[in-house]
Amino acid sequence: MVLVAPRIRHPAGPPGPADRGAGSDVLALLRGDTSARPRFDPGLAGGLRAWLEDAAYEVVAARGEHAPALFLGPRQLLGSPSERNEQGGGEHLSGEVVLSRLVHALFRQLVHTGEIDDPLGDALEALRAGDGEAVLRHVESLPSSSRSALAEAVASHAATLRSQVPRFAPGWMPRTDDRVATPLAGGRVVLHGVFDLIVGLPQPGTASLCALGLATGGPWAWHRRSLHYLALLETLRSSTPPFRLALLESTTGRCGVEDVREEHLRAIASHIAAWLTRQAAANE
Amino acid sequence: MSDRLTGELVAPLPAVDAASWLAALADAKSMLANLAVRRGATGPFRVTDHDVRATLGGEAGDRAGREPFAWSTRTARRSLGLAAVRMLVAGRARSPVEGVQARLAESSLWVREGSSSASQLDRWLAGLPSAALAAVGAEAVTWATRLWCALDWSAFAAPPVVGRDRWWDSPHSALLALRGRADVRTARSHLVVLSGPRRTSVRAELALVILVESLRARGGAVPGRVVGWWPDSGQVVRVDPEPAVLTLGAEAVALVLAGARAPVRSAA
Repeated sequence: MVLVAPRIRHPAGPPGPADRGAGSDVLALLRGDTSARPRFDPGLAGGLRAWLEDAAYEVVAARGEHAPALFLGPRQLLGSPSERNEQGGGEHLSGEVVLSRLVHALFRQLVHTGEIDDPLGDALEALRAGDGEAVLRHVESLPSSSRSALAEAVASHAATLRSQVPRFAPGWMPRTDDRVATPLAGGRVVLHGVFDLIVGLPQPGTASLCALGLATGGPWAWHRRSLHYLALLETLRSSTPPFRLALLESTTGRCGVEDVREEHLRAIASHIAAWLTRQAAANE
Repeated sequence: MSDRLTGELVAPLPAVDAASWLAALADAKSMLANLAVRRGATGPFRVTDHDVRATLGGEAGDRAGREPFAWSTRTARRSLGLAAVRMLVAGRARSPVEGVQARLAESSLWVREGSSSASQLDRWLAGLPSAALAAVGAEAVTWATRLWCALDWSAFAAPPVVGRDRWWDSPHSALLALRGRADVRTARSHLVVLSGPRRTSVRAELALVILVESLRARGGAVPGRVVGWWPDSGQVVRVDPEPAVLTLGAEAVALVLAGARAPVRSAA
């Protein structure tokens, strides 16, 4: 993975004129050499799916035909980095989850409009229009000192985003929160995840999409594996993986980019198959 | 995905035996006429694919049926996304981002000027702060981009109709109406964008589209096929027009009106 040195951190608050158009080095890395988009073996997706289907049917056989569907995301399959309760819908929202949801809302806003005015206020308004009720309740229940600390933390992440997230031309087809799901064993096991950002137009037989993940905390290696997991799900969805993955850490501004290779997909498929086999053994 | 999904929409339709089709259509009309009369005293009833899912969909249907409707990023994305794709097809926008932004601007203008075109969605959007509006726009852009990129739009002989729901009003009672929802309509097919998990009720949901098309058609004409597509997984389910599908659709309507939670009998 190619790493880009973090930029000098900007103080929290609205960006000055020098900040406009930031993220150009990230943009260049995402673009790469457009003439060198890799082609993947058209049988790869089928082979990976067959491997996972076999493991999924072992789980179904062990759990019983009529057990409820098993929904598995990166936190179950790869272990939780530090953030508990990914969906944020329960009673046990951790500070990390709340911060993550708020920063992701700002990331989305930045990609879509290019602007963030009031980091905490904007993030809360975005969640209010969506499915962020649990996060809203959590923030509203905080004492003022904790809320101020949260506002400072969110502003710090927002400053990194402003300096590192490029402005994408509409022709790049940028889309955020692209959900991907792979039903296995007739839908009784479902692998799912969410791309924070995808750019590019799908082209049959050619890897042409680029995915960017946003990490707001937790180990870099975990987030990188999580991107490999999403690349696998994209391969199963469209038969072609993204050609490039980028990871941006909003705490530090660290950014890394790597091309997707077959061995990434095989390694993560092997990990999931092994995980499912262990589940099957545990249920027997 | 674009080749596969487009292929499903442009593939030739299988031959349908005219006599069997007309007989099944007559049976479906008769069943609906009886339902309309029975429901008459209890007020208007509109049956949609959502109702079919809520009634027949098991676990997924239970969730669909429990949530009261409210505008949100999730519930607004289809309307805004379809408007954006419509602009793309007509050449009035060059990207989903442009299409969604144009639709949001239009919405704001209609509400400001008190236009009769302003809908409930437009009025909800007008009351949102800019950050919330950005979240709504971002969700719609993702929805529209997935649909726009999923099809080879140049493969259709004529520009498809994007996002026009069709209603059938019972001639036996003004109180009963059926809705056929499709997101893209071509001369021989209808594409329905699906969400949620794959479920046992999905064929009945799509059969409702064929039923509505058949009831609206003149002279018992056989409508096009219906293709359901889950953008999350890329999965496709195809329902071709055949007599058993009419029965399936009519039975699904009957079960919705009965408030029953029983499996649909038809094997279609």
